[in-house]
Amino acid sequence: MIWPDDCEEPVANHLSSLGGDLAERHPMYEHILIATDGSEPSEAAAKSGLQLAKSLNADVLVVYISRPYKAAITLGGVDVMPSGDAYDKICEDNAVGILGAVEQEAADLGVPCRTKHVVDDHEWKAIIEAAEGEKCDLIHMGSHGRSGITALILGSQTQKVLTHSKIPVLVCR
Amino acid sequence: MYKHILIPTDGSEPSQQAVKHGLSLAKALDAKVTAMTATLSYDASTLWEAAISKTPEGYERRVKERAAKIISQVSAAAEIAGMEVDTAVVRTDHPWQAIVDMAAARNCDLIVMASHGWKGVAAVFLGSETQKVLAHSKVPVLVHRMESSWL
Repeated sequence: MIWPDDCEEPVANHLSSLGGDLAERHPMYEHILIATDGSEPSEAAAKSGLQLAKSLNADVLVVYISRPYKAAITLGGVDVMPSGDAYDKICEDNAVGILGAVEQEAADLGVPCRTKHVVDDHEWKAIIEAAEGEKCDLIHMGSHGRSGITALILGSQTQKVLTHSKIPVLVCR
Repeated sequence: MYKHILIPTDGSEPSQQAVKHGLSLAKALDAKVTAMTATLSYDASTLWEAAISKTPEGYERRVKERAAKIISQVSAAAEIAGMEVDTAVVRTDHPWQAIVDMAAARNCDLIVMASHGWKGVAAVFLGSETQKVLAHSKVPVLVHRMESSWL
């Protein structure tokens, strides 16, 4: 096959109209979803997300996800997994504590903040659904959550959010 | 907040949309911007330019021209918006490495990039360069997904 000599990979020109847009106004994020699981990296990410919201005058929705109750598990006479009611209570308490801490920091910074506790098997799905449902324009999360052990690989939930989200995702290290 | 944003682009449509997004964010945050693009060696390239170039010299000329075009678009847009942009063209076989190194070398505190570049026809997964930047970057990475009706 012979290619014509002047043929080349096109450079997309999406920027021609941009300068004008930018000169007039700069619509940026107004509602930022901050996902947290209470782990150290995700707490640090939440702090950074609040700072970003503050500098953009955005409000935040802080989301914490619990897995639903499966079944009571007893190993050697010890309750490894408690009963349904006890489990729900633990999840609720965790959510209140973790979301409350971020809410307090938001209040200190003067960032309008709402919180949401979702029970779902798939954290990534719950995060995207919450973001779409609440019309958030940015998802802000840590590169690793609770199960993050290796520094180089991206956490699985973060990976899945990145794969499926149509909303921009800011991954904090 | 973010003071210096690194915006890598490969000139593809998703990438240029991400540039637009990154410039808007920089403008809103009053942040400095460094825009960069990478040129691959003849052997590593799967670009059109490599396929149509009869000689490595011809290829070199084409990718240089292409990189200049990409960067000039970004500069032009930034200039109209009254923003200050530094630009860089890097020669590498590993764009993700160049991006991570550039962020470190220029003290950028955020990278804004597309979820996919020009290799990203299969839109469901994350582009491989983006994936690697996410894995290796020391600074936060904002991943922008192209708005498209057929996705």
